[in-house]
Amino acid sequence: MNRLLSASALALVFMAASARAETINVLVEGGGEMLQKAVAEKFTAETGLEVKFTVVPYQGVFDKFSAEIASGSSAFDVVTIDVVWNAKFAKHVEDLSALFTDAVRADLPPALLADAKVGDKLIGMPTWANAEIVFYRKDLFDKPEEKEAFQAKYGYPLAPPKTWQQWRDIAKFFTRDTDSDGKVDFWGTDTIGTFSEEWMAHVLQAGSPGVILDKDGKVIIDNEAHKKALEFYIAPHCTDHSVPENVNEIGWGEAQNLFYQGKTAMMKFWAHAYKMTPEDSKVSGKVGVAPMLAGDAGIAAIPGPWYNVVPSTSQHKDAAKKFIAFAIANNALGIEAPLGLAATNSAYSSYASKPGYEHFTPLLETLGAPATQGRPINEKYQEIVDEAVLPAVQQALTCKADVGEVLTEAKETIEDILD
Amino acid sequence: MHRVSRPNLSGVLINAAALVLVLSYALPYIYLLMTSIKPAADVQQIPPSFFPAVISFENFREVLQSSTLPKAFINSLTVAVLTTALSLMVAVPAAYVATQYRRRITTFFLLFALVTRMVPSVSLGVPLFQLLKSMGLLDTLPGLVLAHTSAAVPLALLLMSAFFEGVPKELEEAARMDGCTRFEAFRKIILPIMTGGIAVTALFTFITSWNEFLYALLLTSESTKTAPIVIAEYNSVYGLAWGAMTAAAVLYSLPVIIVTLALQKQIVGGLTFGAVKG
Repeated sequence: MNRLLSASALALVFMAASARAETINVLVEGGGEMLQKAVAEKFTAETGLEVKFTVVPYQGVFDKFSAEIASGSSAFDVVTIDVVWNAKFAKHVEDLSALFTDAVRADLPPALLADAKVGDKLIGMPTWANAEIVFYRKDLFDKPEEKEAFQAKYGYPLAPPKTWQQWRDIAKFFTRDTDSDGKVDFWGTDTIGTFSEEWMAHVLQAGSPGVILDKDGKVIIDNEAHKKALEFYIAPHCTDHSVPENVNEIGWGEAQNLFYQGKTAMMKFWAHAYKMTPEDSKVSGKVGVAPMLAGDAGIAAIPGPWYNVVPSTSQHKDAAKKFIAFAIANNALGIEAPLGLAATNSAYSSYASKPGYEHFTPLLETLGAPATQGRPINEKYQEIVDEAVLPAVQQALTCKADVGEVLTEAKETIEDILD
Repeated sequence: MHRVSRPNLSGVLINAAALVLVLSYALPYIYLLMTSIKPAADVQQIPPSFFPAVISFENFREVLQSSTLPKAFINSLTVAVLTTALSLMVAVPAAYVATQYRRRITTFFLLFALVTRMVPSVSLGVPLFQLLKSMGLLDTLPGLVLAHTSAAVPLALLLMSAFFEGVPKELEEAARMDGCTRFEAFRKIILPIMTGGIAVTALFTFITSWNEFLYALLLTSESTKTAPIVIAEYNSVYGLAWGAMTAAAVLYSLPVIIVTLALQKQIVGGLTFGAVKG
């Protein structure tokens, strides 16, 4: 009897331990939990495997995962990481090549697939992806008097901009002093001076084979496309004066708010902002969207994907991979979350015709454009941006520096960093 | 007439200078408060506005409806209270001995406490992570209390040492002559006159733990994380929810403000302890 009791107790302990082992711990940034919650619930319902999220601030994902790696252990089975960290964590995560079936590959925008590859490994599965598209004030673009005035001034119809020239013309056209106090109080658009990704998108539109570095890791920031893109990027500020003057104080948040507060007619911005337009915003219900601008190489953008990776130290690698495979197969489940983002073409397409998801068609077109590609997959990417790229953009935005010289200087700095 | 007006003028000037000084300290907090009562669309106005055009409590409503923040507040409070208690239990007697029974070793002890304050906490994060993991205390509130205590004790020790410096040795000697043991002299004579100093130390220790971010980020996960982590989550890669973040920060600052006001008398007494000695 005692033996039976002992054996039963042991079995219970073992079962409890096994049950614990069937929990997949996921480290994720705030918004990312919401995007994966529905898929996790369905996964648990279908497989019996629990999914437990640990939500931390954006930088916290990097810090916490780094600390786990440094300690040689990991409490996490899946970590959802920003693409800019792919190179940094590549050595410490599992190769997920086996999960990239032909069906999965065919359903992903090529740029997302390319960003998943570090060396010979496919280190992560895209979880959701974003890209900048064009936002415009539909109410202004539809006004007959504005259409007439624009046609008279520029000789072609007012419509959502597709090219660089159209962007500049429309931005100039809408920049005005609305209360006749002698000061401009409504601008055609904005120029972001605290981030460089928007300029990088123009670099690709101009036909550069890569941004900052080419495929072999050679620094190409001084090539003709980078130069042309920088000239275009600074033109609304330096030449056209169609943006608020304080460009070096404008970041993503400020650009978004200028638009939401009805102070700009257009912005290039990450697609999710369409769904997140506040109801009490001055532009609510008046926002139109179009694919990102096209240059000589066509439409192009810098994607902003996040990847699910499996730390090499995970104790539940198989379960983690099962979850990741399930998540990509049920990728559309995240779209109902506030950020409303997904990664696969089929997920976006399944919502594209629904009201409130008008931004998905231009987003898909932008993400899938042949010239769209990711930022350099390099461990020193952030250092390169902070030390060389952003200072170059900001220097160019002073309107006093020679764009060619600025980029040559940036090239030298980057070569020093890489050496 | 002239004689009467001069002191008034200097009084006004002193008050004006004090007001400017107070405002320079309080302005960021007042701006935080103003931002928290602005409607979401007005929070990041360009150009920025100091006062809200319309007062709205939607940010507070959003924060209070959050599923994670109330739990995180309780975690923060638990950790801060336990850290304060533990730190004082260690630091108060240690500081007394170090200052009243001076030896080379006690001087070294205080110096070492100062040195630990010079080590950047980020460099201690990973060792603490490994230590707590090996003790099975990772992702537990006691684990975080220990981590915070390791940071708070040196501060408490240094503060309390400064306060004990002002206590004449004769006090303990007199108590012992009256039949007290060393511990009784410490407990019955010394501690009661040190309430101000202890209150100040308790407050600073509490604030150290209350606002600590890095250890809380590295050593906790979902069920044990503290409010600073949850507040930081309002800054997501896809946007900064300024309104909700400032509302949460205002709510989070209230306990410290209340404790400070409640202990005001003891704190002022503690800060001026020994100032007129001699």
